[in-house]
Amino acid sequence: MRLGWATWFLVLVLAFTGVQPGAARAAAKEELVIGVSQFPTAFHPNLESHVTQGYVLAMTSRAFTGYDADWELVCMLCTELPTLENGKAVIEKLEDGTDGIALTYTIVEGATWGDGTPVTTEDVLFTDEVGKHPKSGVSNAELYRQILSIDVIDQKTFTLHIDRVSFEYNAINDFEILPAHIERPIFEEDPENYRHRTAYETDFTNPGLHFGPYKAVEVSSGAHIVLEPNETWWGKPPFFKRIVIKAIENTAALEANLLSGSIDMIAGEAGITLDQALAFEKRHGDQYQIVYKPGLIYEHLDLNLDNPILADKRVRKALIQGIDREAVSQQLFEGHQPVAHGNVHPLDWVYDKDVPKYSENLDAAAALLDAAGWTDMQGGVRHNEAGTPLALELMTTAGNRTRELVQQVLQSQWKRIGVDITIRNEPARVFFGETTAKRKFTGLAMFAWISSPENVPRSTLHSEEIPSAENGWAGQNYTGYRNPHMDQLLEDIERELDREKREQMWHELQTIYAEDLPAIPLYFRADAHIWPKWLKGVVPTGHLNSSANAVETWYAEDVPN
Amino acid sequence: MDEAGATRAPASRAAEVPSTPATASPGRLVLRRFLRHRLAVASGGVLLALALACLAAPLVAWLLGQDVEAVDLFNRFAPASPSNPLGTDELGRDLLLRLLFGGQISLFVGLVGAVAAALIGTVIGVIAGYAGGRIDAFLMRLTDAVIALPLLPLLIILAALDFSKLGLPAGLMRSSYGSLYVILAIVALVGWTTVARLVRGATLSVRERDFVRAARALGAAPSRIIARHILPNVISPIIVATTLSVGNVILTESILSFLGLGIQPPLPSWGNMLTNAQELIWQAPALAIWPGLLIFVTVIAFNFLGDGLQDALDPRAGDP
Amino acid sequence: MIRYFAHRTAEAGLLLLVMSFVIYLLLGLMPGDPIDIMASGDPDITSADIARLKALYGLDRPITERYAHWLADAAGGDFGFSRLHSRPVLEVLAPRLWNTTVLMGLSFILALVIAIPLGVIAAVHPRTWVDYGINLFAFAGFSLPSFWLALLLILLFSVTLGWLPAGGVQSVGRDDFFDWALHLIMPVTALTLLTAGRIIRFTRSAMIEALRQDYVRTAEAKGLGPFGVVVGHALQNAMIPVVTILALDFGTLFSGALVIEQIFSYQGMGKLIYDSILGSDFNVALVGLLFATALTLASNLAADLIYGWLDPRISYG
Repeated sequence: MRLGWATWFLVLVLAFTGVQPGAARAAAKEELVIGVSQFPTAFHPNLESHVTQGYVLAMTSRAFTGYDADWELVCMLCTELPTLENGKAVIEKLEDGTDGIALTYTIVEGATWGDGTPVTTEDVLFTDEVGKHPKSGVSNAELYRQILSIDVIDQKTFTLHIDRVSFEYNAINDFEILPAHIERPIFEEDPENYRHRTAYETDFTNPGLHFGPYKAVEVSSGAHIVLEPNETWWGKPPFFKRIVIKAIENTAALEANLLSGSIDMIAGEAGITLDQALAFEKRHGDQYQIVYKPGLIYEHLDLNLDNPILADKRVRKALIQGIDREAVSQQLFEGHQPVAHGNVHPLDWVYDKDVPKYSENLDAAAALLDAAGWTDMQGGVRHNEAGTPLALELMTTAGNRTRELVQQVLQSQWKRIGVDITIRNEPARVFFGETTAKRKFTGLAMFAWISSPENVPRSTLHSEEIPSAENGWAGQNYTGYRNPHMDQLLEDIERELDREKREQMWHELQTIYAEDLPAIPLYFRADAHIWPKWLKGVVPTGHLNSSANAVETWYAEDVPN
Repeated sequence: MDEAGATRAPASRAAEVPSTPATASPGRLVLRRFLRHRLAVASGGVLLALALACLAAPLVAWLLGQDVEAVDLFNRFAPASPSNPLGTDELGRDLLLRLLFGGQISLFVGLVGAVAAALIGTVIGVIAGYAGGRIDAFLMRLTDAVIALPLLPLLIILAALDFSKLGLPAGLMRSSYGSLYVILAIVALVGWTTVARLVRGATLSVRERDFVRAARALGAAPSRIIARHILPNVISPIIVATTLSVGNVILTESILSFLGLGIQPPLPSWGNMLTNAQELIWQAPALAIWPGLLIFVTVIAFNFLGDGLQDALDPRAGDP
Repeated sequence: MIRYFAHRTAEAGLLLLVMSFVIYLLLGLMPGDPIDIMASGDPDITSADIARLKALYGLDRPITERYAHWLADAAGGDFGFSRLHSRPVLEVLAPRLWNTTVLMGLSFILALVIAIPLGVIAAVHPRTWVDYGINLFAFAGFSLPSFWLALLLILLFSVTLGWLPAGGVQSVGRDDFFDWALHLIMPVTALTLLTAGRIIRFTRSAMIEALRQDYVRTAEAKGLGPFGVVVGHALQNAMIPVVTILALDFGTLFSGALVIEQIFSYQGMGKLIYDSILGSDFNVALVGLLFATALTLASNLAADLIYGWLDPRISYG
């Protein structure tokens, strides 16, 4: 009988819980096997980007600039960030009379592709050329549109002429350099089919594609990637002689693989959910290092402001006071995912600690709803004078267990103030590809924005970014939020170079956001990193530049068995 | 229903003599045969008890003073107590109530889905098998096409379509039960093929038997031949297939839940409860064991029930 | 007979063509095309980018035109590129196809070898403890969801006992037979258990039916031994409905191994098709689904032919 077995298995496994699985380790490990929940399907850095792709590429190459674990902008492939102070950034007048900026970067001296070819300005020019080509298939061409021209000064030094001046003028995080000596002939032969023929997809184990601490030596599509140290790496030599990145999609199976010893760690960037990690910690916390890193992942409810019910600010304020976000954070996530009081993370330097905060207040919520005309309670649901029920649809990605849990909590809590919530979820592909992108949700949509430090939320809050059929559904202002003051502020922040003035503007932005509530902030997500006891030196970042950007500092400690 | 001698005396059969044996009414015979099958009777009892318990869920909720959807974050994973006889789930809801309400959904999906699919399948199978020729060819190609139809894209499309635009009342599809209707529709639309092929195969086989040939030769109307000779002879494979598919539909729903396409929360079903519990198996094994146990018991019971019904309905079961 | 076969093959080919259009249409109807998904994930993509990419991927043209284009290319043996994997479709498909064939083939054969004798034994001894035992085993085979069984197997054999690898097709850096076979044990076991139950049940009930038929009794009366009766006459007859079920199962197995593949991280077709649908990888999804379709049609055709062979009363016109 199957259930007989099931119970038997369970009893057996429970009885063995004290047994530490995995092989005995006498000396420091030279191989590290990392489990991730998704396989990077494509490797070309500029055609499309995914979390796990970024994770792998951070080990085999580096972007020019990026944010470090302290959320500070640093040079990764360049020698020094150009700034107005050091003279490497110069504001210049453009032909149309507006301000542009010239930025001078120098590529690190020792940077060399894995086949011995040095990384040079030739590669910079080629990358820009691919980025600008209309048929190359580069998804995000914004950076290349902003680059007006490139002056080559020598083999390693070049100047970018950018068409605008923003406070983050010297961040070129999206500039991922391509090896001209390999890719140029492929590209020039047939630019339109470059995306299929690039060596990144046909020959990723070609050492000439990698200049980072590691190079790919084996790719088994959908299953794993094997990396080995790259001899041409200029920095600190990496500790591990071999890194294997294994994809296991089912998170329960991912956990089982960790316990069975077939993987050593689970990457926090693409690993198991927080509540699964919390449960895991209770049982195996003494055998592993479990680190929760608060991330720039803003989980929230977008409200469709074209819905007459939600267009009323009083209803929005009633909704946020009708739920106990603190209890959700404490009870479901044991405090590891702090309540969000706006779209700016408390660890971001522009965060305003005096931002208006809402907490659970059912009386205030009820009073607000009464004031908004939702006075007539029928069968536990408020109705207005016209007899319309206060009913809203709450949507999210189907199959995301954490979101589904939170969703049911919210539904149950809103019931207390007479708001009738219907849950309707869709597969991620439909939800993101259609429902949010084309503003087809009628009420509330729960999802997250992932960003980098001091990321100006222009695309989600500016009135010009409301997706519509006219603009080809571009933009991410899914709520349909319009506030001229906010528009102005967003534009000003981008242009303001003075840190203090900018901070003031950021504070103002957060206050308006909390007052207008175009979205209901829920919490900031945290990544759960699970490492073996012997692994040291990994520093989670909590943003888009993953911990793998410092893979050369990872090492294993001798572990007495 | 007729007796074992059918093939030996086709003429008498075809000659439309009242086929009811003089000794007992057919209903009583069936019942008597069924009652002999003790496991089937027990299974029927179990299913009846389960169904009654599930239907009584609102009463149980009232008795316990609990609301099945009421989340209590400060009472998660509570152990069994008088007010929560089986403890609470990951959101502090009463597990017993969730199981009972989930049972309503699971049993409903299983029964309605399987019966609807079997009805469609029987009609198509009998027509194809009996009519033969072009009608048969067309229906069988249709069956092949439906079998080959990719279920997954269909599901994703259905999950995203706006049914209110198709003329269905918006309230129906937009309610919490929307996912339930979608799943029922899919099960019925793709699930009939097994029964159709089975019935067609059996019909083909029966059609060529002497007594049917004789009946046709004597000018009996097709509807009468189908009703009197074909259907009684194909009923047992239909019953086997349907009972098996009740369990299958319940399992299909759980697989769809596993893929995130099943019955959507907060509506509980045994399938989605089991799926949700997989990551919590160590922390709260009861959350996984109960729905798993209920699925297991239900599927087994339906199979034994089907077994018993087959024996009871099959005229030749009397002399094994 | 040959004419019948040729006729059916031509029909299957035509049906396949129709299916390719239906599948193309379904995929095209699915909300959220690849570029929409790309755009929703990247704040810097502008409407100009969207228009440029849609034109590049050919998504700005009407679906019928795209299908005609695809069909013309496919007829020439060019099935296009996988969007997710950026590789030619057949290159993506080939290794998965092999993996699936191995997994399915092994479990199917194993299921047959276990199930048919068990089904026959149960039928020959109806309502005995042997029968009940076999029935229970069969029910167990399909009464727990596959993902549950798969997870329990991993928990027992990989986590607790440490005997078997928890997933994958092959250990990193190894390509020997032993390692490969080791990885197959659990997925094959799971799939076999899930398939065998149905076959046992159908064999048993068909066999009981067949044993009651008169010609079996006649054979018995003529003095044929029980074994000769069972194998020579009844089993042949009993296989008719069983073959139907098997033919149906074979096609579903192909894409239905999805759950097993996903949990064991086994790189097979089911997972590939599922991923490509969710990832809007039209070309792979289309060819993969057509392949599954073709396989189902072929096994149905085979079932029809076996019918004729098993039951001489059925004639093909």
